[in-house]
Amino acid sequence: MKWPLFPLFVLAIAAGTLVRAQPVDLLIEAADDAALKPLLQKLEQAQVETRAAWTFWHGTLAGKTVVLARNEGDPLNAVAATALAVRLHPPRLIITYGSARAHDPALHAGDIVVSASFAAFDGMFSPHLGPGEGSRPAQWEKLPHLLMSPGEKETPAESFPADAAALSLAMTLSPAHGHVVRGVLGSANQVNREADRVAWIHTLWHTSTEDGESAHIAGCAALLGVPVIGLRVVDAPATDAADFALRLVEAWR
Amino acid sequence: MKRAIFLLLVLTASLRAAEPVDILVQGAEKLEIRELIAGLGAGAQKVTIGPFSFWLGRVGPHRVAVSLTGQALINCTTATIIGIEEFHPALIVNQGTSGAQAPYLTLNDIIVGRRALDYDNFITPVTAVGQGSSPLAWTPVPQRLRDPATGQLVPYPEGFAGDPAALAAALRTRNPMGRVFAGVIGSAHEVNLELDRVRWSQRTFGMDVEEMESGHVAAIAHAYGIRYIAFRVVSDAPYEGVPFNPNAARATGLFTLNFLENLPPLAAPPLPHPTP
Repeated sequence: MKWPLFPLFVLAIAAGTLVRAQPVDLLIEAADDAALKPLLQKLEQAQVETRAAWTFWHGTLAGKTVVLARNEGDPLNAVAATALAVRLHPPRLIITYGSARAHDPALHAGDIVVSASFAAFDGMFSPHLGPGEGSRPAQWEKLPHLLMSPGEKETPAESFPADAAALSLAMTLSPAHGHVVRGVLGSANQVNREADRVAWIHTLWHTSTEDGESAHIAGCAALLGVPVIGLRVVDAPATDAADFALRLVEAWR
Repeated sequence: MKRAIFLLLVLTASLRAAEPVDILVQGAEKLEIRELIAGLGAGAQKVTIGPFSFWLGRVGPHRVAVSLTGQALINCTTATIIGIEEFHPALIVNQGTSGAQAPYLTLNDIIVGRRALDYDNFITPVTAVGQGSSPLAWTPVPQRLRDPATGQLVPYPEGFAGDPAALAAALRTRNPMGRVFAGVIGSAHEVNLELDRVRWSQRTFGMDVEEMESGHVAAIAHAYGIRYIAFRVVSDAPYEGVPFNPNAARATGLFTLNFLENLPPLAAPPLPHPTP
């Protein structure tokens, strides 16, 4: 789809609720209340909305109309919250932020990784082994997500794109701690602490970090035609990423 | 651009006219919904929302929306949110193909979901470089949903139960191509052909079949308080060395049509968007 048509595509997603749909500048997502708190404290004209299991806060932040979403930090809740928020409040950009564990050994605690792209690394295919032959995860193959696209076709996607303009802008900002680096934000509902498996995922999917939801949000955003940017602080509290997200919101036009 | 605006206006007008349905019937692949679309008859209406297509019509006493969700969590969760928000169904039926995880199952058998769960969430032990990876030692992490009444995140280690009335009706329904059992359906973006890991999943989660959507859709239905049932036909059986057979998709479509004919009329769907 050509870039100028993206807003129309997003409005089409929201078309069934056009009477209620309230477009916003930014949909900003984090996993939990602690991560959202720094932004909620600065949210003006705040209103809260709960739908089914998901809660959103509306208001203005640094002069932009925003919706803050608590996505619970796992793929299912994050995709559901994203799809619901886009339908109710079509945004110009989605920002997902939080903390992550490093896959790239060059990263240090406190570094901020900005998404050059995203990889949902939970897809796997295991070749056949018989009874008693155990499990050989080093031989597993990756199974990319297939995104639905217009015309009822599924398109394999090993990674999902990030918004180039937001990426460029984020790379000009200074964090409170650490360095800002471009990378691939990986996500799955997994906590991987086996060093060999982490290295295997890093090699196979080119992930810089892992968290619970960022790439799945990006996949949903790709489905719905909404630009997205991801920010993850490495091995540090998510509030550090919230601070950086606030700087991005202030600088973004 | 002008053409796009025109299409948007047409789409908007058609969407605003959309009426609630009794049942949202989902399939991930075209083969899984082919029989269902045919069953809607010549008067079926197609609605497209973003990348997702829905076909509206009637089967037996029910107003039905057939939804092509696409495979796996990202597609099916997004399609389900849109389907619920658009059509306000009283019941969701998620059906399609699956891999057998229990040795008693064979090609074209159908599992009706007593429950459905997400099984690919886990925490690994801490191991150092060179110590390898041991999937059978990973600790499962249950899917969680926030209960808006209490504000608490609630774990669902058993997954989500199928609607009892729909389950009973399904177990009275004929599968024209195989047998029918009540069982447990597990979802993940995985294809598991290592029999020791298949056996581990069966022991750990009680799973009879594995596939990629029903546990995720079950969670969304639970969050909205919408009745839910899943059907999965066995399209591949690693214990028997049976590779994926796409023709099994026909069984699930025909079975679901029979189910819809058997199912008594439903109560009116809940009011849209129950917001606590």
